[in-house]
Amino acid sequence: MNQQTNPKAVTDKRMFSRETTVSVNIQADPSIVWALLTHASDIPRWNSTVVSLKGEIKEGGTIELKSTLDEKRTFKLKVKEFVPGKRLVWGDNMGSRVYTLDKNEGGVLVAMSEKIGGPLFPLFANMIPSFDKSFEQFAADLKKEAETIQGSKK
Amino acid sequence: MATDKLTPEFETFQGELKSFILRMTASVQDAEDIVQETYIKAHAKLNTFRGESSLKTWVFSIASNLARDLLRAKKRWPENVTDICREEALGNPQFFQEAMQIRETSPQGNFEIKEHIAFCFTCVSKSLPLEQQLALLLKEVYGFSMKEIASILNQTEAMVKYYLHTSRSRMIEVFDQRCSLINKQGICHQCTELNGIFNPKQKAQEELVKIEMAKDAENKSKEELFDLRMKILQELDPFESGAAELQLHHLEHNRQVMEKYLGE
Repeated sequence: MNQQTNPKAVTDKRMFSRETTVSVNIQADPSIVWALLTHASDIPRWNSTVVSLKGEIKEGGTIELKSTLDEKRTFKLKVKEFVPGKRLVWGDNMGSRVYTLDKNEGGVLVAMSEKIGGPLFPLFANMIPSFDKSFEQFAADLKKEAETIQGSKK
Repeated sequence: MATDKLTPEFETFQGELKSFILRMTASVQDAEDIVQETYIKAHAKLNTFRGESSLKTWVFSIASNLARDLLRAKKRWPENVTDICREEALGNPQFFQEAMQIRETSPQGNFEIKEHIAFCFTCVSKSLPLEQQLALLLKEVYGFSMKEIASILNQTEAMVKYYLHTSRSRMIEVFDQRCSLINKQGICHQCTELNGIFNPKQKAQEELVKIEMAKDAENKSKEELFDLRMKILQELDPFESGAAELQLHHLEHNRQVMEKYLGE
C-alpha cells in the first residue's frame, strides 16, 4: 500500500512570484491518470476542487475553469503544452499550471505546480488565496479516483 | 477459418450485433447497413482472422469501427434528450397518429414500460463520449470481458476500466437525477405518462411492480439499480420484442429531432 496517503503541498513565496507544488504517488496505470486529467467534462465529477470546467484539454485548446478557491470567477485558460501521458501545462498571462507524470514501479508519480507572478505581483499578492489546501485536495481526489478505477472489476 | 463456416457462426450473434449498433446509432437504417457491411468486411478479411479472440469479438470489432467512423463526426446528444424530444412530439400530432396506428394494428405495437426503459437508456447513453458508450454497452449489455473490449476498441485494459468506471458513474448520476422510477424527486415520468396514453385502462403502478428496478427502488443502492436497468436491456431485443415497432418509431422520431436540434 502506498504510504503517501496525505499529499502535502509546498509553497515557495518570492517578491515577484509564488509557486505551489504538490506531488502524489498513485498506484494505477499512467493512462488512467492521464485520462482523468484530460477528459475535461468528467473532471468535476471526481475533482472536488473544480466547480465546472468547459472546453477541451488538448494541444492548443482553451478551457473555462471555475474553482472552489473563487467560485464567482471564471478563469479562461489556454493549453500551452500537451505531451500525452507525460506533461500538461495550461495557464494565462499571470501564470501556468504544470502537471507531470513519471511512471515508476507499480504506478505513477504525479506532480502539479502553479507559478504566478509578474512585476505587479507584490501589489495583489495578499489578495490571492493560498493554493495549498486546494492542491492537497486535488491530489487526494486524483489518487482515490485513479486507484478505484485501477482496482475496479466492473 | 473456412469461409463457409463464417455465415452460420455470424448468424448466431447477428441479432446481438444489430441491436448493439442500433443502440449506438439510434437508427434502424444505420444498424442494418453496418451489420451488412460488417459481414462483407469479415468475409473479405477472414484470412486475417488468427483466432486470437473469438470470431464474435473479432466481428464486433469490425462493427464497432464502422459505427465509430459513422458517429465520430456527429455531435453527442444532450442528457435531457427525452425532455427535448417530448416537447417536439407534443407539438407534432402526426407523431401520435402514427404511433396510435402502430399500437392498434401492429403485432409489435404494444407499449410496455420496461421496453421504454431500454429505449430511454439508448437515448440518454448517447450523451456519453463515444468510446465510453461503446465500452459500457459491450460490457454491461453484451457481456464482453475487459480483455475482449480492449481488443474490440483497440485500447489498453486500463483505458477500458477508465471508460467503464466513468460511464457507469455518469449514467448512475443522470438516472438518479432524472428517473422517477428510482427516485421520487426524479424529473422524468415519460414511461408512465406514455403508458397512460397507449394503455389507458392499465394502471401504471400495477405494471411497475413487475419491474424489479422500480419495485425495489427504495431498498437498492444506485449501483444495484443501474445493474437492474442493464438487466432489462440484456433481456430485450429491440427488433424482436412485442413493442419493437412502436419503440423503433419513437426512436426514429427522437433521432430526427436530435439531428435538427444539433444542426446536423
